[in-house]
Amino acid sequence: MQKIKLEKLNRNEALRYMGHRGEVSTALEALMEKCEAELLEHISPAFIYKVFDIEESDEGVTVCGTTLTLRGNDIREHLSGCSSAVLLCATISPAVDSFIRKKEITDMSSAFAADALASAAIEQVCTMADEIIKSQLPDKFFTWRFSPGYGDFPLDTQRDFLNVMNAQKRIGLCLEESNILTPRKSVTAVAGISDHQVERKKRGCASCNMASKCNFRKRGEHCGF
Amino acid sequence: MDFKSLLNNKYILLDGAMGTMLQEAGLEAGGIPELLNLTDPELIESIHKKYIAAGSNIVYANTFGANRYKLKGNSVEEVISAGVSIAKKACGGKALTALDIGPIGQLLEPTGTLTFEEAYSIFKEQIIAGKNADIIVFETMTDLYELKAAVLAARENSHKPILCTMTFEENMRTFTGCSISSMALTLNGLGVDAMGINCSLGPKQLAPVCEELMKWTNVPVILKPNAGLPDPVTNKYDVLPEDFAEQMKTAALYGVSIFGGCCGTTPEYISKLKSVLEKTDIKREKITIPAAVCSSSNTVIINQPRIIGERINPTGKKLFKEALRKHDIGYILNQAIEQTHAGADILDVNVGLPEIDEKEMMVSAVKAIQGITDAPLQIDSTIPEVLEAALRIYNGKPIVNSVNGEEKSLETVLPLVKKYGASVVGLTLDQNGIPPKAEDRFKIAEKILSRALEYGIPKEDVYIDCLTLTASAEQEAVMETLKALKRVKDELGLKTVLGVSNISFGLPNRAMINQNFLTMAMAYGLDLPIINPNIDAMTGAVRTFKLLTNIDKNSTEFIAAYNDAVPQKPVTEKKSGTVSLSYAIENGLKEDSAAATAQMLKNHAPMEIINDILIPALDKAGANFEKGTIFLPQLILTAGAAQSAFAVIREKMTSENAEPVSKGKIVLATVKGDIHDIGKNIVKVLLENYGYTVIDLGKDVPCESVVKAAIEHKVKLVGLSALMTTTLKSMEETILLLRQNNVDCKVVVGGAVLTQEYADQIGADFYAKDAMETVNIAKQIVG
Repeated sequence: MQKIKLEKLNRNEALRYMGHRGEVSTALEALMEKCEAELLEHISPAFIYKVFDIEESDEGVTVCGTTLTLRGNDIREHLSGCSSAVLLCATISPAVDSFIRKKEITDMSSAFAADALASAAIEQVCTMADEIIKSQLPDKFFTWRFSPGYGDFPLDTQRDFLNVMNAQKRIGLCLEESNILTPRKSVTAVAGISDHQVERKKRGCASCNMASKCNFRKRGEHCGF
Repeated sequence: MDFKSLLNNKYILLDGAMGTMLQEAGLEAGGIPELLNLTDPELIESIHKKYIAAGSNIVYANTFGANRYKLKGNSVEEVISAGVSIAKKACGGKALTALDIGPIGQLLEPTGTLTFEEAYSIFKEQIIAGKNADIIVFETMTDLYELKAAVLAARENSHKPILCTMTFEENMRTFTGCSISSMALTLNGLGVDAMGINCSLGPKQLAPVCEELMKWTNVPVILKPNAGLPDPVTNKYDVLPEDFAEQMKTAALYGVSIFGGCCGTTPEYISKLKSVLEKTDIKREKITIPAAVCSSSNTVIINQPRIIGERINPTGKKLFKEALRKHDIGYILNQAIEQTHAGADILDVNVGLPEIDEKEMMVSAVKAIQGITDAPLQIDSTIPEVLEAALRIYNGKPIVNSVNGEEKSLETVLPLVKKYGASVVGLTLDQNGIPPKAEDRFKIAEKILSRALEYGIPKEDVYIDCLTLTASAEQEAVMETLKALKRVKDELGLKTVLGVSNISFGLPNRAMINQNFLTMAMAYGLDLPIINPNIDAMTGAVRTFKLLTNIDKNSTEFIAAYNDAVPQKPVTEKKSGTVSLSYAIENGLKEDSAAATAQMLKNHAPMEIINDILIPALDKAGANFEKGTIFLPQLILTAGAAQSAFAVIREKMTSENAEPVSKGKIVLATVKGDIHDIGKNIVKVLLENYGYTVIDLGKDVPCESVVKAAIEHKVKLVGLSALMTTTLKSMEETILLLRQNNVDCKVVVGGAVLTQEYADQIGADFYAKDAMETVNIAKQIVG
């Protein structure tokens, strides 16, 4: 598996997660810069992916040769027209959790910035993993990444998902009883694979189950999903 | 046949993968393979038999994931005992059956929520269920802490040989950051029968990992690698049986003597491996393990002066005592971070105070400290129960402080040191007190060493403290201490430890005396000075000593400490120290804020600063935040700057015996199941700035704990936070339990997924959309 290394973090994205708008003060700029440099020393990205044939079923989508069913209308719609799918697991390591924990003791503003930067980092890792996967399958077309918890794709899919991917053994990715992934900054996602260009509903608030509670929307903004 | 007799063979052959064979037989990915012990025992038995036919001396029963978390309601007892019987039947006396135990599948706290004690109980259940196996194997472990729970469970609930393998990446670390030396030092201490490496990569990549492990242990070493890596599309592994066997030769040359295969390997790999091993020489020389202690990710070798930070100790410290009474772990953690930043290699932890439950406090403190620092710890208590409780839950190899020459001390402390594989500080005193003469202290050191050896504690794990007496009272004793130290070092070959600061008690210019005594002691052979590393003269003396004695080659460490590592000052528009307090707070300048406060305290009363400057500055920031002219990052920066001002004021007031006035107590908690606590911690900082005392229960807090704290502290307000839709249920349950117990308090809830509507629905009194609103609610309810 190819390795991913992050050289820098998407600070603007992190600032957006932090609820910042407008001009960045010198103190804030300095904070972000320092946290980014420190955080990069603790990030070690790891990801695994695997391609499976898929079949539509009443419940949603069956992942062939596994115990995993991707339940819900949204994931079925998302994968319609695709004969296979790629399952992705990615994480940036427990050292990041420990780093943020330490910052929470000494300096809350650094902790807040580090947390947001780490969220930006895992997104960057997923995007880079996407590119690697696409380059391995050059003749194929892909849908965007869809994760458990989006729309009516249930969060409790995580358990089977991780088992099928053998994610604990391979990249140390675990799950809490409450279906929270640990290490904290980790992602699981599915993307459809097709031989032809596939039309997909745009990413956006309409396919997000947080739409009614979203802080970005309350502020009249968009999270970028 | 037993494991011990197998060790007389040139090598021991384990089996290959079970999962790979099951998938070839049609098992769906993601299924629970252990259930086949009940539904298709013939299939499992046939796989074991193939491995035995290929030459395996030990087969792993199909029990890897058979724990109560992964089996989802199926009986652990039933699945494991069936798995062990199948394997025993297949072995038929020709091979040994191992009870195979993998990781639980959840991360332990503090990253996850599984406690050490729960992990122990899960493993214990498996070990009892597998009582008919010949040996116990823990494999594919990535968390040393989880493995320690497993090994203790095995030691305390069976008498079988224990084999442990962890999974390392090419960077010689596990996913959780555990290093080879940390694994080896910890497992050596816990007395396992063999240790090594399995899974993750092929034999070629894991050979250097074996080479490193050989430097740290004398127990037999195991290698059970994958057949390379799987292809993401075809799922085929990329190392073929012949190549696998050939590549294993390198490990054999390093002295590995127990071999097998993990993911992707089959009986063919094992038989090829056997034929290669038959023709390979395997030699192992006994090594001397370096004197060292470790956390799970950091090993400190005692081959040069190493600083033990002494600050986590309440003796003579008002604020520390107050923190212990309030169970303020954050205070202790700050002390830990400050000392490691200043240069401490190891941290002494003493939380003894007559009016608190020292055992509970020690366990909480050690768990919390090891969650935020990788410095190894020295467990410091006079009570054996406290030592044992801390030794159990320590993640690594700690130092016990201390044992002395008195019989009662030797026979209570040394067995604990042996059982948990720690190092120990031996004080050269006994029932008659501290002998004035060097030769008598030396005699006690000799006695401590010989008793430690009798208990099976290796010599390199005994550190002797020849005890510093006060120069002002017993001037002639100073050189006796150093003479004794030198003899212990030279004649007994032991590492030495010494608390230094006591030397100058009652004299002026203590810092100068301490520094010079420290340098003298190092010249006499002191390895482990116990000092306050925050005093630069002390840390500097150690750095200078290392430079002058050619330990710090090319002065690298010295230059790094004094040239490059000048703490970076935040970017400021004015020069640090010259800005006004209100400017510093408004602009979120932490250091300036503390400096300006210290300056103002010279001619202003603390309450005047709080009421005239701090509170108005916070109010202004709060109002701007609500208006939307500043955003959360600036609000938190401001709060952080104010916090540092309050810290300076609190210190001043405490030193003048004027306790800061609290506006009242508030309980905060992130609810059960949820581990996102950054939002709650932001709220905490703001509330504290406004003068409230926050009882912070942390994250993943059971409903009952919230109720208990609310009653105990008689709070008027409880704040609950949750960030996941899945944990909102716990929030509802917590509120319900508060109501059922008729706790007279209001409840405010917050978190990303909450809405006013939902807050109403679950019976909360208030919904706070952000941290500032919680402050407003607190003002309204608490005053």
